[in-house]
Amino acid sequence: METLRYTLRKLLGGVPLILGVTFLSFLLMVYFGPDITYEFTSKNPTAQEIASVRAELGLDRPFLVRYADYLREIVTLDFGHSFASGERVTRILARTIPISLAVIIPGFILGNLLGLVFALIAANHRSGWIDKAIMAASVVGMSISFLIVVIVFQIVFCSSYGLNLFPSRGWQVDGPGDYLMHVTVPTMATVFVALGYNTRFYRAVLVEELTRDHVRTARAFGTPPSQVLYKHVLKNSLIPIVTRIMFSIPLIVISGSLIIESYFGIPGVGKITFDAIKVNDQPILKAVVGLTALLFVLTLIVTDVLYSVFDPRVKLK
Amino acid sequence: MRLIGTIAGIALLVAIAFGTYSCSSDTGQGDPDLKVYRHSFDEAPRSLDPARAATVYSNFIVLNTYDTLYAYKYLARPYELKPNLADGMPAFSDDGLTLTVRLKRGVHYIDDPVFEGGKGREVTAHDFVYSLKRHFDPRSLSQGAWFWQGRIVGLDAWGEAGADYAQEVEGLRALDSHTVQITLTRPYPQITHTLAQGFAALVPREAVDEYGRELSVRPVGSGPFIVEDFDSTRAVLRRNPDYRSEPVDLAYEGYDEAVHGFSGVKAIDGRSPPFVDRIEIDFISDDSSRMTSFTKGDELHYARLPSAFYDNYLKSKAPIALSDDNASKYHMLAGVEPGFVFHQFNLDDPILGYHDDPAREAANKALRCAIIQGFDWEARNNGFYGGVAVVFPGTIPPVVPEFDETLSRDSVTRDVNAAKALLAQAGWTPETLPELTYGVPSSVRQTQMFEQFRGFMQDIGYPRDKIVIKQYATFGDISKAWKQSQLPIVNKAWSLDFPDAENTLQLYYGPNGSPGSNDANYKNPGYDALYERAAVMQPGPERTALYQQMNRMIVDDCVAMTGLSRTIILLWHKNVIAFPDRNIVGGFWAKYVDLTD
Repeated sequence: METLRYTLRKLLGGVPLILGVTFLSFLLMVYFGPDITYEFTSKNPTAQEIASVRAELGLDRPFLVRYADYLREIVTLDFGHSFASGERVTRILARTIPISLAVIIPGFILGNLLGLVFALIAANHRSGWIDKAIMAASVVGMSISFLIVVIVFQIVFCSSYGLNLFPSRGWQVDGPGDYLMHVTVPTMATVFVALGYNTRFYRAVLVEELTRDHVRTARAFGTPPSQVLYKHVLKNSLIPIVTRIMFSIPLIVISGSLIIESYFGIPGVGKITFDAIKVNDQPILKAVVGLTALLFVLTLIVTDVLYSVFDPRVKLK
Repeated sequence: MRLIGTIAGIALLVAIAFGTYSCSSDTGQGDPDLKVYRHSFDEAPRSLDPARAATVYSNFIVLNTYDTLYAYKYLARPYELKPNLADGMPAFSDDGLTLTVRLKRGVHYIDDPVFEGGKGREVTAHDFVYSLKRHFDPRSLSQGAWFWQGRIVGLDAWGEAGADYAQEVEGLRALDSHTVQITLTRPYPQITHTLAQGFAALVPREAVDEYGRELSVRPVGSGPFIVEDFDSTRAVLRRNPDYRSEPVDLAYEGYDEAVHGFSGVKAIDGRSPPFVDRIEIDFISDDSSRMTSFTKGDELHYARLPSAFYDNYLKSKAPIALSDDNASKYHMLAGVEPGFVFHQFNLDDPILGYHDDPAREAANKALRCAIIQGFDWEARNNGFYGGVAVVFPGTIPPVVPEFDETLSRDSVTRDVNAAKALLAQAGWTPETLPELTYGVPSSVRQTQMFEQFRGFMQDIGYPRDKIVIKQYATFGDISKAWKQSQLPIVNKAWSLDFPDAENTLQLYYGPNGSPGSNDANYKNPGYDALYERAAVMQPGPERTALYQQMNRMIVDDCVAMTGLSRTIILLWHKNVIAFPDRNIVGGFWAKYVDLTD
């Protein structure tokens, strides 16, 4: 009951956040985004044709009227039709979000799990050569552009100039076998890049925990090192770790991974969003921004609830 | 740790389930008995609605899923029209103002829930009338209306009066279920070409009423293929099993053993298309990604060779020839594009265009002529088009029959001294030269083009700081700047809609000034009079002479730095029987594609 009350209170508290984010983003779309009108005109347009396109797309209506429509759309989850393709926005998102999740989740999970493992090893050997080697490798991974990683991995694993083991693009998945074929290289690229960031972050968290009194006490009592690491260090570090993971989720769900999707020809929400940004396809952008804001609010609530699960000292007030 | 492991396991299962679920509709993908041709586009088409088939990519798919009254012959060059859904070429009245077209009988739309019982009904003349009317209905957001604007009696007025489909249009009538009659306001020799465009495809009203704006992703046509899947990365077309039987007459299509023999297209003679079960089209804008997929061997069958890859694939650029290794694996076709790139001066801008002061106007003309003389087309060709493009003077590109081979090449031959002399004679000094803004869509390549242009201008004495770049986030944004006459130089490309120089000469017709296609805002009553005279003439030497006279006016008045037609190099695997054409024949050739294994 306490959790429910807390959730409702937080939901109400999230309304100003959603209003602020949507208002600012819509302001940017309308007054600073590209003018899509001229993507719709013919090769020899007349002034009348241009005015007609603006009217048909609703671009000639007052800002506040359009913003009120936007809020109504968030409430009803009906964002109308994409300006560019004409397809219903909800249909586009329903088609593309699952694909993006299917592409990104394995890399996201592996990137975090491996990051934790390497961080634990590094933290346990703090200042030793193993720690330094892991940190140096992390910096290398962080320093290479994601774009370069994707291109190199594509050439090495997917092209006739390399191993030619996996498809270079597309998303024709009829079963787990096809899925693994299509997701392996994107996952490897994602993990390669994410691992450095994750390892460094998690190591910092774990090292801080290692210096705490309870760890020193556990060691003084002769607790085996592995038990100290897993039971006393990792468990007590979960709050920053959970925070990092949880706040990545809205971006993963809505934004997908533009580079992965573009280079591997995967029809996910990242590519849709990027295409929409390029031409200011407002119905899609409004949906993506609105839903991301909504997800952030929900994530905040879930994260707070998880805090209380992982650390009984945390109370939901 | 156990908790994290459990969460990870669940998430992985969910991901696999999503992956499997999201692609369950992709039927037939793995069937080895199907003939699947895998094509590639450099960009994704935005809409498959014929009213918005404004790009070569949209047009390709529209022409394969809908029917048009006319089409271009598969192999004939110069390009020739032929009946498609029409059962013959149009019958023109003696005054050239009325044309009558009869439609083939027994042609049906594909089966779709929009039809009674889900069964595709017969295509009729009323569909053509409806489809053309749609272009004048603001709700269609048509990009093709300009072909017929002011051309068909009563059609513009019908749109302006509210686009009520119950109202007849005097100049656009279905005489019976299979006969269309069009009455023109004045002779329009290019009308048959316009009826071969994706814009003129026949759309069933039921589909528009039911799907509305989503017609753009759910085509309902009567063409050789049916769209099975379409998203931001690919389109999948499957063979229309009910497509009419029309055996190929290769001689009629323009077959020439010497030109087409290498492609193997002889094998389709006498057979009825389409020949493949599926066409899968990947939209790949990144060149390296496209070529990686093409060279894998089991993915793309077809790709345009990007100029950045010429050195890797070609052993010679003149003549264009593949390296031996690539020649053993791929067929190649290199051809000059039906279009060109050019830079127009915006003559509405007083810094280099028309001016109230006649002396300044004369000086402005000298400035434009000097800039033209200073522009190095060969360097542009070598720097950005692999050195294989065709540079030509004027605005009539080499691909059309009216091209003037005798026109002086002075306007495309760099002469720095002549440019300096022109500036000096007109009294221009580095101090008095106006600041020139060079607008570009934001990209590295466009910025490099600007830098090259600035270098050209420095060579003729233009101060470096007076050539400035203005970048626009999107093509739509720079297009807006052109249409609102905001830039002194309009740097653009034009693709011909049909092989007739009228399509490029209209770029300088006065009444087409901003926001129309005449971005130069060129106003020359003499030019306009010639244009109006030629516009109603049938093709022939007399009209060609007028075209070429207008072309010379463009050059003499220093209206544009023009032009360069890019050479397009197409590659396809040897197991594909095809003779591709990217622009004019457009999508019409896809139904003739076959595979040898």
